Amino acid sequence: MKPLTKEQLTGLIHLVGATHEHELDCSGCLAQAAEFAERELAGLPLGEALVRVEQHLEVCPECREELLALKKILQAQA
Amino acid sequence: MISPSRRASASSAGNGRLEPVTARPSAGTIWLAFQTGSTKLATVVAEEINWPEVLRGRDNAVALAGLRAVLLNGLRVALRDRADVNDAHLEDFAQDALLKVLERLDQFSGRSKFTTWAHAIAVNVAFAELRRKRWQDVSLDALVADGRELTEPATLATDAATGDEERRRIVGALRTAMTERLSDKQRAVIAGLLEGLPFNQIVDLLGTNRNAAYKLVYDARRAIKQHLMAEGISSETIRTAFAS
Repeated sequence: MKPLTKEQLTGLIHLVGATHEHELDCSGCLAQAAEFAERELAGLPLGEALVRVEQHLEVCPECREELLALKKILQAQA
Repeated sequence: MISPSRRASASSAGNGRLEPVTARPSAGTIWLAFQTGSTKLATVVAEEINWPEVLRGRDNAVALAGLRAVLLNGLRVALRDRADVNDAHLEDFAQDALLKVLERLDQFSGRSKFTTWAHAIAVNVAFAELRRKRWQDVSLDALVADGRELTEPATLATDAATGDEERRRIVGALRTAMTERLSDKQRAVIAGLLEGLPFNQIVDLLGTNRNAAYKLVYDARRAIKQHLMAEGISSETIRTAFAS
């Protein structure tokens, strides 16, 4: 493995710092992604359950990437 | 009920547009009416359909074809900037997504539009496959070796943190946590994530399931965080030290 770049190191630090006692996993995130995307695009408050989606997105680049793609679809339909 | 495993012969022939599909209504109220050249109208119509009901119906062939067309159009938008995706890929993703949506129909809670929920599944299916292709040559042995190297000063170098004494202290504590608090598997997973390896790929390499792999990562992150806290390094300390 190559030496970690500053970006990777910062990413690792961020991953650790963003660790919460109770977290959603990717399946839980996917289950609520539609509601999250609709509310976010409509500028509506997220509510407690969806805040955990937001926390998961902080530590999961894949779910972030998928949410962006979903929002792109919704925006194209608007 | 027509088996969804038979490729739904939607009138969308893979040309990127929704084409006319007219069906008899389900429960006497809904007509599917996708119109050529009017994606917006098709979207409005699609959102007004009681999808779970029509998909569960005995005569669901048109609904299957309609939903497949909706998913295909969504994927076309979501993946339009990807040079590695062609029409055949989109067709396959849409078909696989349709099957996943049908499998999970009972999980739709109604807290969003059905089509948004289905698009979320389609995007997940497509990205999972694209990531799998990109990383298919990585082996578990290579990952474990990378994980071991995370404990070495050359890999987790304090100079990557550029100077500052507090940053060096944090990186030093991080390396100690990696060395003393994590298992080989946990280090391998962390190394994989740092190198951008998709989580699904890590799951496959470990020969486990997503929940177990997620717990492995979560436990690793928590163990590192606890070690840092025991060293007097809080999240706030980290944020401040790495703010710029």
